[in-house]
Parts: sequence; C-alpha cells; structure tokens
Amino acid sequence: MTMTGSKESPKSVHTSPDGARGQLTRGRSGKSAGRKPGMSALTMRTAQLVLALVVLGGWELLGRAGIIDEFFFPLPSDILATVWVWISTGYVFPHLLITMEESILAFIVGAGVGLFLGFLLARVRFLERLLDPFLQMFNALPRVVLAPIFLLWFGLGIWSKVAFGFTLVFFIVFFNTLEGVKGVDRVLVDNARMLGATEKQLLRHVFIPSALTWIFSSLHISVGFAITGAVVGEYLGASAGVGYAIAQAQGVFDTRGVFAGMFILMFAVLVIDLLVNRLEKHLLKWRPSRSA
Amino acid sequence: MKESVASGPSEYAVDEYAVELSGCTKEFAMPGGGSYFAVRDINLRVEPGRFVSIVGPTGSGKSTILSMAAGLLEPTAGNVRSYGTPVQGVNRRASYMFQQDALLPWKSVIDNVSLGLTMAGVSKTEAYSEARRWLEKVGLKNFADRYPHQLSGGMRKRTAVAQAWIVDPDILLMDEPFSALDVQTRQIMENELLQLWQESGKAVVFITHDLDEAIALSDEVVILGAGPGSTVVGSYEISIPRPRDLLDIRDDPQFIELHREIWGRLKIEVSKTYEAALAEDGEVA
Repeated sequence: MTMTGSKESPKSVHTSPDGARGQLTRGRSGKSAGRKPGMSALTMRTAQLVLALVVLGGWELLGRAGIIDEFFFPLPSDILATVWVWISTGYVFPHLLITMEESILAFIVGAGVGLFLGFLLARVRFLERLLDPFLQMFNALPRVVLAPIFLLWFGLGIWSKVAFGFTLVFFIVFFNTLEGVKGVDRVLVDNARMLGATEKQLLRHVFIPSALTWIFSSLHISVGFAITGAVVGEYLGASAGVGYAIAQAQGVFDTRGVFAGMFILMFAVLVIDLLVNRLEKHLLKWRPSRSA
Repeated sequence: MKESVASGPSEYAVDEYAVELSGCTKEFAMPGGGSYFAVRDINLRVEPGRFVSIVGPTGSGKSTILSMAAGLLEPTAGNVRSYGTPVQGVNRRASYMFQQDALLPWKSVIDNVSLGLTMAGVSKTEAYSEARRWLEKVGLKNFADRYPHQLSGGMRKRTAVAQAWIVDPDILLMDEPFSALDVQTRQIMENELLQLWQESGKAVVFITHDLDEAIALSDEVVILGAGPGSTVVGSYEISIPRPRDLLDIRDDPQFIELHREIWGRLKIEVSKTYEAALAEDGEVA
C-alpha cells in the first residue's frame, strides 16, 4: 500500500505542475486569438468545449456499453455526482481548507526562503560557490523519500506537509531567482551604478524587477508544487486534507471518490493559477506582449 | 595642428583635468587560462569643457578606456584621476551613455529619466518636474508614460540623453551612443547633442569608429592603434570654428583637409586590424 503509494506519487509530482503550465500557455494563446477578429476566439472556445464534450461523452458511452471497466474508470456522470455530494454535504470543505492551508504555508515559506537565498547567493559569489554542491545534492534527492521522515519529525498534522511542500517549492524558486538575478543585463547594472545607485537601490530598481520575470515563471510551477506537496503528504499519512480523503476513498476501492478528489483539486489549482496570472499581468505590465 | 600625445596637453596650464588616464593598461584573464591586453599604456587628458573623441579600429579597446574613465573597470596598471582626485569605484562626476539600450525596461520614460535624481534623494515631485523639463528639451514630453519598448530607437536614445544629462554631470562619457541609429536620425541627434553641450561647459569623451562623426563634433580627435594591446597613436586638434552646422560640415574645406590627414594615420591601423583578422582566418582554414 505504502509502496505503491510512493511509487505513484512522484508521477503526480510531475503531472500537476505540467498541468498548470499547459493551462498557462492555453490562456496565452487564447488571448492572442482574441486579437484577431472576434469570431476566431469564440470559434476556438466552442471547439474546446466540443473537444471536452466528445472526450467525456465518449468515456461515458464506452463505460455504459461496458467496453471500459466502470470500476477502474468510473463514469463521468458518477464522478460529477460524487463531486456534487462532496460539495453539497460539505464533506470536502474541511479537507480542502486543510490542504489549502498547508499549501499556502509551504508556498509562503518556500518562496520566501527561496527568494531570499536566491538574491543573497546571486550577489555574494563566495556563498554561491560554497553552497553550490550541497544545494545540488539536496535538489537531486527525490523529495518523496523525505515524506516518511517528515512524518516522524513533525507528526501527522499540517507541519509535516508544510515541510514537504517547502522542499519542493524552495528549490524551484531558489534556482529561478538565482538565475534571474545573475542573468541581469550587465549594461543595466552599469547604467544604474553610473547614475549613482547604491547596492540597495540596485536591488530595488534593477535586480528585483529583472528577476521578476523568472520568479513569476517559477511561481506558476511552485504553486502547483506546494499543492502537490500537501496532497502527497496527506496521502502518505494524515488525518485530514484532500489527499487524505482520496486515500480514504481508495482504501474502500471507491474509485469515484478518488476521481472526485482529483477533479476538485484540479479546479482549485486552476483558480489559484488564474490569480497568479492576474498578479503577474499587473506586475509585468511593462513587458512587450508577445504577439505584438 | 598635429601633435603627439606626450607633448600635447602639457602646453595647456591646466592642473586639474576632467579625465586623466596615466599609463593605463588593462589586462583581461582569458577563460581558457592566460590573458590578453585590451589596451596598453594609455595616456589621455581631457580638460573641463572639451569635447574629445576617441577613434580606433574594431577591437582597439575604445570601450575599455571609457569604462576605466567611468570607474566601471579598474586598470591593471596606471591610474585614473578626475578633477585631481583618483577615481575609486564609480566616477561620481561622470554620466555614461551606452552603446546598447541601457534604459530600465520596467520603468516608464519619466521614471527612467528621473532615476538619477530620485536615487540621489530628490523628492519625486521635484524629480518629475525636472524630468519633464528634460523630456521637453529632447522632444519627448508626450511620451513620459510610455515604456521603452514602445519607443523607436531614436526616442530611446533621446531618453538616454535626458537620463544622463539630468544629473548635471561634469563629464559625459559616450560609447558610440548613436551607432545603432539610421544615418538621418543620427545626424539630428549629433546636432542636438552639440547644442546641448555648447551651453553646458561639460567635458565629453566620445567613442566612435566613424571618423566623420568624430571630426564634426570634437575639439580633439584621439586615434587608437590596432588591438589587442593598443595604445594612443595620434592626437589631432580640430580647430573648425563653433557653432558648427553638422549638416553641411562635411563640405567644409577645413573638414576635408583634417579628414584626409587623420584618415591617413587611421588607415594604417585599420589595415593592420584587417590583416590580422585575415591571418587569423587563414590559420583557422
């Protein structure tokens, strides 16, 4: 049980952020389609809707016809019904709340420490060279193996999940910040220095804004990772959370419950990613739009 | 008219030069080990209020010299002084105009222009009103809220001019600032630069590979030898009277005479560079 769990979870570690990224690009292309005469954007939306209906409808029909096993692939209508039950009875909300709480904490701490160390190491060459091999080592470690030890250290409560999510979020934000700050155009730095910038002013006017692009691309992924960390942690051992709810459903071979949990998580991540997109658009408004 | 650098500046009784490079050598470490000399034993003196151009073939270390004067690069040997004091760290009395785009892309035009003032602690309202004045001067008063990527190359250069001048430096270091512009825009910008400079009394060190531009703008043209390890091979006084009309100056007999004389010297260095490049290609092939 635990064996299969830890074997499956690395896969989900990868799929979740990729899903977030896919959604992101889709959002962008949707926007550029909007630049062309109104029709094409609408056509695209319709086509997308048709595609979703065909896939789900096909799934439903094949399931009803008995061609695919309903036990392993529950009917979309049943999944939807389960989602509805989970929502209408309020069953899922305490779990979702716990998962969100863990994710947000993991994200804040991980991103905060990642940003700080990223900036620090990018500016202090000595530290970067000193710590580089160790950071590479820890980053090379498949994070899932940490989950059991975190459970021992931090208990079954939220903190073991926060710690687990932290190890996922931190490295992404850290490496992106490091690259972002180091990759700042030399000429911009020299120009600001010639205009009288102090080290602090360089950070504020040049390095932070320049690294923001990188940091944001990592935010999209790390938000996904924070949630992944929380869910995987819950799945391996917890008393609450969406991951726990999925594990419970799996325990009684309730595949509808497993899929319902997946769908609810998917939508939660979509909503959060949308918010990050909003924030990104606001903070990076100086950037030339790609299609222009 | 022609004079060697060593004896040249001594005839002026100026003990405080705006920029003074004495015996400056810059050696860069190569990635694969070893090192090469960008410039060797550079002596350069720029008096306050003078417009001096440095011309040299590709790879002659023109930008290196300017970076040393700015304090962005430290010479391996020799010393750099500005108004009598050794330059340590960034030269606070100088502004620098870069060859590349150096505006901060995430700041609007007015924020870019006022940056030098706000960083020096000037209040935002004051910095903005000064920036507006400069934007009007460079003809960009309606573009204050644009971002650099929304401007044409010429407009970005104007913004850079305003950004460099607003802090009222005593020295302007300009590294091929107009080389990326088309010929017409470039002549207009050169004209405007001269007008700004004429009323200002600032010292200008202007890097270019274009001899026409150098002669048209300057009081003095300094010629660098072929790189690597190049050094100053000649210095020419340009006594064409000011104010000059840059649009017609290329027909001026004095201009033509000077051009022939200086080009005669520069040509030697340019062909050396060209032959060296050919030889290198030959080795590769």
